[in-house]
Amino acid sequence: MTFDPLSLAPYLGDFLAGARLSALACALALAGALALGIVVALMRTAASPLARRCAGAYVDVFRNVPFIVQLFFLFYGLPEIGLELDAFGTGVLALALAGGAFTSDVIRSGILALDPGVLEAAQVSGLPRLAIYRRIVLPIALRTTIRPLGSVFVNLILTSSILSAITINELTGSAKIVASDTFQPFEVYALLLLLYVAMTWLVSLAAGALHRRLNRHVAGDVA
Amino acid sequence: MHDTGFTHHDLVLLLQGLGVSVGLFTATTIIGLALGTGWALLRYYRAPLLAPAVAFLAELLKNSPVLVQLFLVFFGLPVLLETDLTPVEAALITLSGNTAAFVYVIAVSAIESVGREQLETARVFGLGRWQTLRRVVAPQAAAFGVGPLTGLLVNQLQVTSLISVIGVVDLTKAGAILNVRTLAPFVVWTAVGLLYYLVARLIAWSCSRLETRLRAHSQWKGL
Repeated sequence: MTFDPLSLAPYLGDFLAGARLSALACALALAGALALGIVVALMRTAASPLARRCAGAYVDVFRNVPFIVQLFFLFYGLPEIGLELDAFGTGVLALALAGGAFTSDVIRSGILALDPGVLEAAQVSGLPRLAIYRRIVLPIALRTTIRPLGSVFVNLILTSSILSAITINELTGSAKIVASDTFQPFEVYALLLLLYVAMTWLVSLAAGALHRRLNRHVAGDVA
Repeated sequence: MHDTGFTHHDLVLLLQGLGVSVGLFTATTIIGLALGTGWALLRYYRAPLLAPAVAFLAELLKNSPVLVQLFLVFFGLPVLLETDLTPVEAALITLSGNTAAFVYVIAVSAIESVGREQLETARVFGLGRWQTLRRVVAPQAAAFGVGPLTGLLVNQLQVTSLISVIGVVDLTKAGAILNVRTLAPFVVWTAVGLLYYLVARLIAWSCSRLETRLRAHSQWKGL
């Protein structure tokens, strides 16, 4: 039994390059997931039954099918219909689609928690619908859901490790290469595990701080 | 040029894969439930050293990707301990540990949901610690915990798809084999996704029936 983590020092550059790619994928996917999640959440809380049903079906499918199956579906399926994306693009697209389902759930609960009186006041004041969404519903719903959105983002980071299955050398992918180079799989994967724990810990700390900062004027249990 | 048509053997392969996935899911759920509840009891009885150690371990397992845990166990452990692990053994260890970490969190909050005054009342009536746990805490904590447990189990079913990466021929691996042979990604991955979806639905449905039974005591029966 040998345990020698110091011998991994020359490979720190590989880990950093992988971490950069992971961070880029997660940032792009987060932007996509947020945009998608907002639209889907508005559809799920809309008055139109058709919009509600479509959005509900999307969330249902993407929450109940494993991410790796969605990823393979897109990775092998998209070229069939003539959509040639590279592995990285496919990975980000899959992450954004899956993340959108979870994000919409969180934002939806934020919208449902709105005081109906606020909406009625806006309607009585004659604000157009778009202005109500843009100025009242979304600012409140997004602000009060920063913390749960942070845990969706943490999950997105953990899920991004699966992108290594379609030849993307993000953090997990580059660790696989280092492990086969050094023949020290235990040290490599233990370090990798700690790196992910540190990253997600920082993200949830940041989300908590942002949540408190944005909700500092709100009384009660939201902040 | 090899034959790319579907035969009825393909269906058998998919169903075999489904059997492996469901079998591993069932086994790791049972082990994970037992282990996670045990860890929560360590906290309930405030076991010195063990309780904080378990809390730390659960944090590590919850905040790192399952794929990395799987690599650590499958590639790392055999090197460290100089033993051999089959892919199925590695999958059993990893998924059980991961499920246990999440069960631990649910069990802890379920136990804490039982009011302190009930414990005091039980003591006043002369119940021992074991009797209090068995007759007062457990039934109420179970009813409280089934809801979050449903979400966890649906999620853990999807997590089992990751074991295909280390070579266990589960539903996802069977899909990958068919995908390469038939070159029909849309059909194959839709079928695989549908099977996962149906099992997830089945899990959610059985859990909601269980919850109705566990909550039967607190339902309004009429006068």
